Amino acid sequence: MSVELATRLIDVLGALLLFSTLLILASGQLFRAIYAVAMQSVFLGIAGAVLGAATGNPDLWVIAGITIVVKAILLPWLLIWVVRRIQIPREIESVIPINATLALAAGIVVLAFRLSASLGPVRQAITGNALPVGIALILLGVLVMAARRTALVQMVGLFASENGIFFTAMAVTQGMPLIIEIGILLDVVLGALVMGILVLRVRSSVDTDIADLENLKG
Amino acid sequence: MEEAAHIEKIAAQAGLLVLLGPLVTGFVQKLKARLQCRQGASIWQPYRDLAKLLRKGTVQSDSASPFFRAIPVLVLAATVTTTVMLPVLWASSGPALLPLGDAILLLALLALARFLCAIGALDAGGAFGGMGASREMTVGLLVEPALMMAVFSVAVAGGTTDLVHLAARRATLPALSWQAPDLLALFAMLVLALAETGRIPVDNPDTHLELTMLHEGMLLEHSGPGLACIVLATHTKQIVILTLVAALFFPLGLADGSAPGALVLAGLAFLAKLLALAIFLGLVESSYAKLRFFRVPQFLGLGLVCAFLALALRIL
Amino acid sequence: MVRVAVWLGHLLILAGASAGATLALGVLTGDAGTLRLTLPRLFPFAEMSLCVDGLSAFFLLVVALVTAAAALYGPSYLGAHAKAPLVQTFALAVFVSCMAGVCCAGDGLTFLLAWEGMTLASYLLVVSDTRSEENTRAGLLYLVMAHAGTAALLVVFLTLAERGHGFDFDALRTAARSLEGPTRSALFMLALVGFGAKAGVVPLHVWLPKAHPAAPSHASALMSGVMLKVALYGIFRFGFDILSPTVGPLPASWGWTVLSLGTVSAVMGVLLALQQHDLKRLLAFHSVENVGIILIGAGLAMLLSRGRGAESLATLALAASLLHTLNHAAFKGLLFLGAGSVISRTGVRNMEELGGLARRMPWTAWLFLLGAVAISALPPLNGFVSEWLTFQALLLSVAELGGASGLLAGVAASMLALTGGLAAACFAKAFGVTFLGRPRSVHAEQASESPSPMIAGMLLLAGACVAIGLLPGYAMRLLDGPTQQLLGGLGASAVVTAHGPLVLSGAGAKAGLEATSISVTAVAALLALLALVAWALRGWPRRAPRRLAPTWTCGMSPSSRFDYTATAFAKPLRLIFSAVYRPRRAIAKETGPSPYVIRRLSYTGEVVDLAETMLYMRLKRWVTATAQAIRAHSTGRIHGYIAFVLVTLVIALLLFARA
Repeated sequence: MSVELATRLIDVLGALLLFSTLLILASGQLFRAIYAVAMQSVFLGIAGAVLGAATGNPDLWVIAGITIVVKAILLPWLLIWVVRRIQIPREIESVIPINATLALAAGIVVLAFRLSASLGPVRQAITGNALPVGIALILLGVLVMAARRTALVQMVGLFASENGIFFTAMAVTQGMPLIIEIGILLDVVLGALVMGILVLRVRSSVDTDIADLENLKG
Repeated sequence: MEEAAHIEKIAAQAGLLVLLGPLVTGFVQKLKARLQCRQGASIWQPYRDLAKLLRKGTVQSDSASPFFRAIPVLVLAATVTTTVMLPVLWASSGPALLPLGDAILLLALLALARFLCAIGALDAGGAFGGMGASREMTVGLLVEPALMMAVFSVAVAGGTTDLVHLAARRATLPALSWQAPDLLALFAMLVLALAETGRIPVDNPDTHLELTMLHEGMLLEHSGPGLACIVLATHTKQIVILTLVAALFFPLGLADGSAPGALVLAGLAFLAKLLALAIFLGLVESSYAKLRFFRVPQFLGLGLVCAFLALALRIL
Repeated sequence: MVRVAVWLGHLLILAGASAGATLALGVLTGDAGTLRLTLPRLFPFAEMSLCVDGLSAFFLLVVALVTAAAALYGPSYLGAHAKAPLVQTFALAVFVSCMAGVCCAGDGLTFLLAWEGMTLASYLLVVSDTRSEENTRAGLLYLVMAHAGTAALLVVFLTLAERGHGFDFDALRTAARSLEGPTRSALFMLALVGFGAKAGVVPLHVWLPKAHPAAPSHASALMSGVMLKVALYGIFRFGFDILSPTVGPLPASWGWTVLSLGTVSAVMGVLLALQQHDLKRLLAFHSVENVGIILIGAGLAMLLSRGRGAESLATLALAASLLHTLNHAAFKGLLFLGAGSVISRTGVRNMEELGGLARRMPWTAWLFLLGAVAISALPPLNGFVSEWLTFQALLLSVAELGGASGLLAGVAASMLALTGGLAAACFAKAFGVTFLGRPRSVHAEQASESPSPMIAGMLLLAGACVAIGLLPGYAMRLLDGPTQQLLGGLGASAVVTAHGPLVLSGAGAKAGLEATSISVTAVAALLALLALVAWALRGWPRRAPRRLAPTWTCGMSPSSRFDYTATAFAKPLRLIFSAVYRPRRAIAKETGPSPYVIRRLSYTGEVVDLAETMLYMRLKRWVTATAQAIRAHSTGRIHGYIAFVLVTLVIALLLFARA
């Protein structure tokens, strides 16, 4: 696969990743956000496969496979199981209106592109527009965490951020060591497990939601 | 000579669009019925409905002004005028004296049709017309900025908003020079197409309950041949929007001359694109519920942000 | 006797307008070049002169067009119910001559004198109509803001005159050449503030919706349609001509300031217009919107002007802006005259009490509809032509500027599209509620058509709208003079009508690409043809019977209470844009013996103008607080005040001795 075709495909997949993040931001229901992040992880896996075919690096194929299995199937399934188990209300409450969130998201994407244009040498070491899209995804994931009340949606935001980190890391032309990528993945899986257990235990024993933790102030 | 040939081509394309409009609606209705495990009416039903309406008499409100009779005719004229501006089968631009292909003019003519329909709805008096007019104008103006940005994001690459030129230029480039911004602009246009064609989740074209109808509310006081004109205008507007999406993003298989082989290929390509978009409409209508009216701005906001990002990715 | 005098006065105004129009057309289409006329010396320190060049001639044409219509309209309107018709006729004559004087001024002194005369004459018109307290306050606010603007202009004129040792425009130009960049920009911003206050640019627009409705309708048409344009003439004159550097492009900050002010004015103006139910206030807010659209084109022209290699693009933007000036004068004048016709026949300004006027006042109704279609930028009328040109200029500048600037231009384009949609919704409401449906009050029921001179005035402006809309290529020839004078390079018609007078094309595309063209004439012809075909065909299957029946109102007998109100029509937008409107509402219920039996229900809704609440109220409170604080220190003793005067004199003498 030629470098040019790989760059084009990475650009297109970057756009698809941005679109799925917008879907997470604009969704009003819990399941839609979870499906959107699963879709995002599938696109990330495809990106890994494309980059693996372009550079011939076998690590990338491994990462692509692990991403699809863990982040597109296992973790979303875990979240859905938690939702069904304790019957969390499916509507996502937001701290600021959805249109304001979308406007902020647009501003963040423009900021990410401007930022990456000024990081000259770093920008050239990464295929296509993976750097700006990665930065945008990280920031948008944090925006999801900040702008939504439900704890599980904040997990979804964390997954989106991590997808952004992965996307940029995979596209580095020199290649990134496999151990780093496995490490990040393990981080997120553990985080998801902890959050799931916490929500289950808090719900079942105290009958309040994680979001009510804000009442614990001095 | 060249002008005459060009006028023939344009007339043929316009006629094709007007004739196929009701068929697209019939197809979407049939698809929805099948997805709901019903038989559904045949795909030719809209034609029969139009013929039936033409035969019926007119009942007009006694408080309507004399302008009321002219409204359906003007709405149909404005909508059919937009059909000459799209590259359906041919992508060759005509003589410089008769340029007909601008995207902004097309959107403005559709806005004119909507404005006249709203005026007609307020003319007959009564609350149904007023509510429908108010809501339709609101949705219409929320769609405008996003449409403009989506069209600009495609047009910036070509420096022109002329649809025929854009299509002709794009058709020659390898892989249609599809890039990331085109994908986002396509998503935006699909969201906006749902709003412009008045389909779920923005509007329900099959209902007549006052709180659930936007477009239908404006048509309530029309009857007989006048209603036939407006219904034909609605079908035409739908197919024009679908062809606009196809011309902006998939200008494939457009013929250059009048060779019969190229024409057949162009016709099949056009039907395939229409089929794909009609299936999209039918699937979306069957999968989602109609949004509460004050959630529609959020839905359209998604389209606006996608269009904005398409423009941003194009020039940043 | 009074009526004869009023008629004579208006006929004189009409004659003056025709003379002005002929002069303007002569300068614009002929090769006469600039006309100069020296006026008798009134002041010993400066010579006064008139100078009609391309830009002046164009704006003179705008003045003459609306004045002619208003002169035709005026006598019948004043005859109906005016309190002081002679005063109003005189004030109108002074007003119009001063506006012409501003446009044709050849030196700073004439300009300022005419400007002041324009303000005073229009103030007279604002307060003379009725004696209500609201009108007096509106007039006072107008006077204060106009003079604040004039003060800013005085600073600019005096600074330049002092450097150039003379008041005439050539001396001012030479003086401006010797300025450095920051001083020049500061002067331009001051001039922008001064002219912007008169033009109604957000946030200096607060006087507009109070003052314009208070004047008699033909004066409102002149104030909205022409006076705002004269203020914009000042911006064009200073921005492109007097203050511009000889070589190199205009500073980018000028263009971006004007562009962003224009975009904000356009959106805020039309959003606030949507919630108005007083016909004339609605139209006044729309003037704010259209001034914004003109400034968008002007700002774009400033951004792309000389020295960037995009001259034809700048010409396109400037042509769009100037054409919108002419178009707005035509359709806003038409709409105000129509509103005046309604108000004079029914005595009611609130559209919620009107309705059903299309059958009782047919000419007014259809001419108002024409104006409504024109202002909503719908084809095939003139509003669409200038907005199309602005869109083409924006699109090509997105490609030309690139990067974040291009993105901002794209956002401006989408905001322009939003204002077009909002304007269409607003006028669907205004026309629908006022003229259609059933009459909602006795006044509306008993209305009758206006006398023919009023209709004649409206027909003149409607004819201009249709002519410019269907044959825009010929209007482009009028813009050759101004665009060549301000920007150099090709004239407007060479850029825009490159393919002949019936086809508009947005030239300036990159090499190798075809410029977009449209032919509004062809589209209009096609529309007419299709309408005729459809009309013939719908009657084809055996003349279907037609009968009349009452509108369906769920089985109850129809009355005007069932018709949709204007408040209800605008409600969805009030909720969607509530962050901008901050709507307040109060519902008062009066219940009977049980709380479920409601005897009386009253709904009060209010929408605030953000500029007023955030800026002016705060300013007013701060000024009042400061004044109170100072007042606490005033002793009331004469000696203190005299000592104050002494100290001020000493300080002034010291400053002058230093300089």
